[in-house]
Amino acid sequence: MIEYLIKEPLWYFSLAVFCIGVLWQLARIIFAAGKTDLSVARGSASGGAWRNVFSRFVPHREIAPRIRLQVIGGYMFHLGLFAVLFFAAPHVHFLENHLLGFGWTPMPHWAFIVAAQFAFFGLILLWLRRMLNSVSRLISTTDDHIAAILTFVVMLTGCLALGSGFHALNLLHLFTVELLLIYFPFSCLMHAFTFIPSRAFTGAWFGRRGIDA
Amino acid sequence: MRIHTLLMMVCLLLGTFQVQAADPPAKPAELNSTSPGADLWREVRQRDMPVEGVTQVQGVDSGVLINAEGDRWARFRIEKPIRYAPVVLLVVISILVLFYALRGRVGIEGGLSGRMVKRFSDYERVVHWTLAIVFLFLALTGLILLLGRTMLIPLFGHDLFSLLASASKESHNLIGPIFLVSLIMMVVSFARRNIYEKGDLTWLLKGGGFIGKGHVSGGFFNMGEKSWYWMVILIGLAISISGLILVSPNFGQGRVIMAISHVVHVLGAIILIAVSLGHMYMGSIGTEGSIEAMKSGYVDINWVEAHHDRWAQQVKENDEVLTAEEFARLHGRIPESTDNATGQS
Repeated sequence: MIEYLIKEPLWYFSLAVFCIGVLWQLARIIFAAGKTDLSVARGSASGGAWRNVFSRFVPHREIAPRIRLQVIGGYMFHLGLFAVLFFAAPHVHFLENHLLGFGWTPMPHWAFIVAAQFAFFGLILLWLRRMLNSVSRLISTTDDHIAAILTFVVMLTGCLALGSGFHALNLLHLFTVELLLIYFPFSCLMHAFTFIPSRAFTGAWFGRRGIDA
Repeated sequence: MRIHTLLMMVCLLLGTFQVQAADPPAKPAELNSTSPGADLWREVRQRDMPVEGVTQVQGVDSGVLINAEGDRWARFRIEKPIRYAPVVLLVVISILVLFYALRGRVGIEGGLSGRMVKRFSDYERVVHWTLAIVFLFLALTGLILLLGRTMLIPLFGHDLFSLLASASKESHNLIGPIFLVSLIMMVVSFARRNIYEKGDLTWLLKGGGFIGKGHVSGGFFNMGEKSWYWMVILIGLAISISGLILVSPNFGQGRVIMAISHVVHVLGAIILIAVSLGHMYMGSIGTEGSIEAMKSGYVDINWVEAHHDRWAQQVKENDEVLTAEEFARLHGRIPESTDNATGQS
């Protein structure tokens, strides 16, 4: 019964909430009424957008030494999670069999493990830094903590299910994934979809005004 | 005719039985021996020392039919760590409970002043807590793997334990290498301040203040903290290296090296878990004001004077002591009044 609920109705429900929620949030941002910029353009908006999208991958030299931990932890977590999510063999097979109907070559098992270790280590570093730095702690919201904990729980249950011989552990992992999918569109996790448009928008605004930032 | 033939057959059969009863065939020579394959199996068992035979199968230990060291290792595992690890941990916990009951929380003379001194940076605390979280996770999953068969199966049954054991094994192996990286970060961050110096021996001789009267002098780290630090680093490295040997069996290490690694891994882990209980006790409920060092990174000046007087002298000389108000503002808390802010002093 529980297995059926997790594998069938809850899976489709969470997937629907995720897809509709993400699309709704993106549409809300895209169609948000903004004031028309009547100023005379001093530079290229598209150039500024592209520049900002890529330049923000590297921190400014002035602040780099102070945020080294966040940068290293951030890259470790996000790249590790991306690799695990889309290139780990169990995930590729799951996406192929349950969602897409096609698959791709997964990464070798050792690379999967290393990527997972990077993701875990990065997330622990980032969350501890958030908790231990007085400023970060003050500006962190409940949403930030729920998102971090939920992501950690999903990764942990995935780690527990690595043996793949136990159906219950796989179900537990799927259940936590479903919770994450439902929470995702209404949380700071949406930054996975908005960080590029956000950078582009800011960069275009800067570019049009000739701001070199 | 038929009756005649039948009688002949009966006679023949009876004759056969008589012959068998009268003259049993001689046993083959081998069967006279008490254990016919004893010599052969003695060679196969290789009880004294594993002997490499010759085989076309290429691989580590493929020439060894039966590894007698494996028996010895299995017996050791069952008779020593599995039997004594719970005893060691229970004894340590009992000592700590008894100590707390008798001595109570070690307080600070004059109480907390509210005036704070920075002890650890954000990065140092992140390193400490990363190592602590990873260590606790590995300790829990490791103990499940070590003691589960004897202690958890009677509680949970085989099905639930097998699930728990699989989850513990996979997560223990995956998270393990993070412990090594955290340990290296710990070395880089803290090693310099943990080098032994003049005066540390006095701290040891006075049992950290528990023997004799009067205050025991200490620097930024006292002898006990330094010894715990080096214990974590050295035993932690031994556990990490032996763990890597165990988790990667395809790098040419034989079974004997695997067995030795396992023994090192288990013994090191039990020692570290046992001593860490004392560290956790002293750093939290055991000593007033200690936990603040790893929470906010700041400690009360009275705490510094009580436990690290030589360092207290330095921070006073360098004017590094913050008022309660300054400390509160630094942490986004605006004190209600100046009276509260300045604290008791």
